[in-house]
Amino acid sequence: MRYRTAKLLALTLSGALLLSACAGGSGDSGTNADGKTTISWLNIMHTASPPTDTVLNKIEEITDVDIQFSWIPDASKEERLNTSLASGSLADIVSLTILENSSVRNALKAGVFWEVGPYLDEFPNLKGISQDMRNSASIEGKLYGIPMQKQVARNGVIIRKDWLDKVGLPVPKTTAELMEVAKAFTEQDPDGNGVKDTTGFIDRSDLVFGAFKTLGSYFGTPSGWAISEDGKVTPEFESESYIQAMDYMKELYTNGYINQDFAVTAKKDQQEGFAQGKAGIYVGALFDSKGLFNLAQGVQDDMELVMVNDITSTGNESDRAIWSTSNGVGGLLAFPKSEVKDEAELKRILKFMDDLMSEEVFTLMTYGIKDVHYSLDENNGATIINTKLWEQEVQPFSSSRPNENGYAIVDADPLRIESTRLIEENTTFAVLNPVYSLESPTFSEQGSELQKIITDATYKYILGKLDRAGFQNAIDTWRKSGGDKIITEYEAAHQTVLNNK
Amino acid sequence: MILPGFIYFVIFKYFPMGGLIISFQDYQPYLGIRDSPWVGFKHFVRLFTEPTFAMLLSNTLILFALELVIFFPIPIILALMMNEVRHRLFRNSIQTIVYIPHFMSWVIIVSITYVFLSVDGGVVNEIIAAFGGSKISFLTSPEWLRPMYILQIIWKEAGWSTIIYLAAITVVDTQLYEAAEMDGASRLRKMWHVTLPAIRPVIITLLILKIGNTLELGFEHMYLLLNSLNREVGEIFDTYIFTAGLKNGQLSFSTTVGLFKGLVGLILVMFANRLAKKLGEDGVY
Repeated sequence: MRYRTAKLLALTLSGALLLSACAGGSGDSGTNADGKTTISWLNIMHTASPPTDTVLNKIEEITDVDIQFSWIPDASKEERLNTSLASGSLADIVSLTILENSSVRNALKAGVFWEVGPYLDEFPNLKGISQDMRNSASIEGKLYGIPMQKQVARNGVIIRKDWLDKVGLPVPKTTAELMEVAKAFTEQDPDGNGVKDTTGFIDRSDLVFGAFKTLGSYFGTPSGWAISEDGKVTPEFESESYIQAMDYMKELYTNGYINQDFAVTAKKDQQEGFAQGKAGIYVGALFDSKGLFNLAQGVQDDMELVMVNDITSTGNESDRAIWSTSNGVGGLLAFPKSEVKDEAELKRILKFMDDLMSEEVFTLMTYGIKDVHYSLDENNGATIINTKLWEQEVQPFSSSRPNENGYAIVDADPLRIESTRLIEENTTFAVLNPVYSLESPTFSEQGSELQKIITDATYKYILGKLDRAGFQNAIDTWRKSGGDKIITEYEAAHQTVLNNK
Repeated sequence: MILPGFIYFVIFKYFPMGGLIISFQDYQPYLGIRDSPWVGFKHFVRLFTEPTFAMLLSNTLILFALELVIFFPIPIILALMMNEVRHRLFRNSIQTIVYIPHFMSWVIIVSITYVFLSVDGGVVNEIIAAFGGSKISFLTSPEWLRPMYILQIIWKEAGWSTIIYLAAITVVDTQLYEAAEMDGASRLRKMWHVTLPAIRPVIITLLILKIGNTLELGFEHMYLLLNSLNREVGEIFDTYIFTAGLKNGQLSFSTTVGLFKGLVGLILVMFANRLAKKLGEDGVY
């Protein structure tokens, strides 16, 4: 008996030791067996599965680095990044795509990551990062990582062109015309199967990247916050146009012009629904058109898509506006001091970042390997020749590119060309978030918690469970629970910026 | 032989309690517990003054009460019923079928419910529509959340929870049944006067344990059901700790919420234990 107890004890203890050994041993950068530098990268995955090795090997060959990825699915990035930060289990490179998150912000401010601002100009590609971009991505004037450069404003409306032709309506220019289209798509059986089984819009449970914020822009809602001439800061949801956008969504909902479950629909289901011909209007990133088109192959073969980025509520070209995703900053690629021990190591990693921004690696991460994944025509236009393979081996990398703009090779696909052109055009009309680089401690601490009050109220208003007064109550609660403090802090921070100019 | 259990409790239950210190600090992981600034009762003040507090407490207690009143008796009834089934093969297959949902994760249970209940093409709503009724948005209505939540628990756990009761029933002395039969007791009478009193200690013990887990309503389950439209009745301590603590990184504040939750649980257990002793049972300590 005693012997067995001892054995059990030994087993338990060695088990515990093993566990602690596992926790301590990861993430050291160094060199691998063939003398290549090993760089670990905690990265966000926007696709269903991580990429296979083909393209990765190529990238490793060019950059002369052994890359060790740890992938975090996009849907759980907040909790995963926060637990990694809290437990210190980081990697040499950490993709921080949620800079507004309080613990990420606190970690940055507390100096967990290297400040890279002073080093950028030593590297040819990093040097090319514009001053504007550097400012936008800085916190209190310090740049704690390589900014991921995205397009400034990429949203718009994607409509089934074949359905438009069927119901005999032109491409909408105003929100009223868009409503007409939604109505016709719902009531006039655009898919011609004799059953009333289609809706106008198909949306997902996302007030930002779904339809709501883009529609809001068409009514003139500011992007997040507005700062008046005399320095008064107001949140977007206190603007009249926010209410108008809610009323518009409400009209869509009550008339059945939008999928009735949009408040609980996931992005994947939304896109599949569109591809299956359940609806004809999709609001989201304009470059989603290609993905939707691919998804519809074999299901809705006569699908034709038209992208629209010039809808307004008034019909005046001068009122065109589109909100911007964090002013073109997609996040930071940051390097924790706990993993990257000294300046020499930091420079090696910056060199790697610099290599990633080269045309060669950009092409690999975007299109793949020539004649395997894509072919090239005489105008430097790339055409994906094997979509399945590309989706497996290349697509997962696309969200890890430090820069997405200004390369010579362009996509030759007509939908891609068109979406790129429209997104480019959006830049002119982009409404930026004026407080993006301002600091508010209360917002950092409670901002996302408070936002929930407004998000919930907005959904309830759209679904008709809350009236105007009820929505105003929610705003009052928001103000009392910390909103007023946030406004005061932003106004003070704005004043400081003005005074320094 | 008690040693492994003891070690388990020390390592995984008592040792981590030291971490509760951070609810009195503004804890920053990179500063560690030693260097994080002390803030006293700041987080407690915030918890009790925030409007969410009343909502969290009432949601948690209401769901707990519903679970106790509606769910708790069901496995007992089910066990009594299964005990009366004489045909072995039939009984075993019924047992197996009611166990199965226990082995599915909440993600699957909730996804299946979604498929059944969605407005666009959900089976239940299609049936309602076919009979001329108007569709019900089960998933986005606050009034449907609690029934849905309890029904899912019954579906998933009722069968599994019968195991302990069935085991308790099998050790009931058969002579008692024979004696009751001699006195002319019907089947129903035997159940009421013999089986139930015999398993009473088991029921009380399980009840106290259940109350101890009051506030462990099951984070995963509720988190999957929550959305903007039913949050007012659905947000419970567990989901709130997750969003505040892990998603927004307010580690100290969420520890405070967790500590409070634990205290409420402790009070309830002590209360239930005293009640059990008053009723002449043993209690758990």
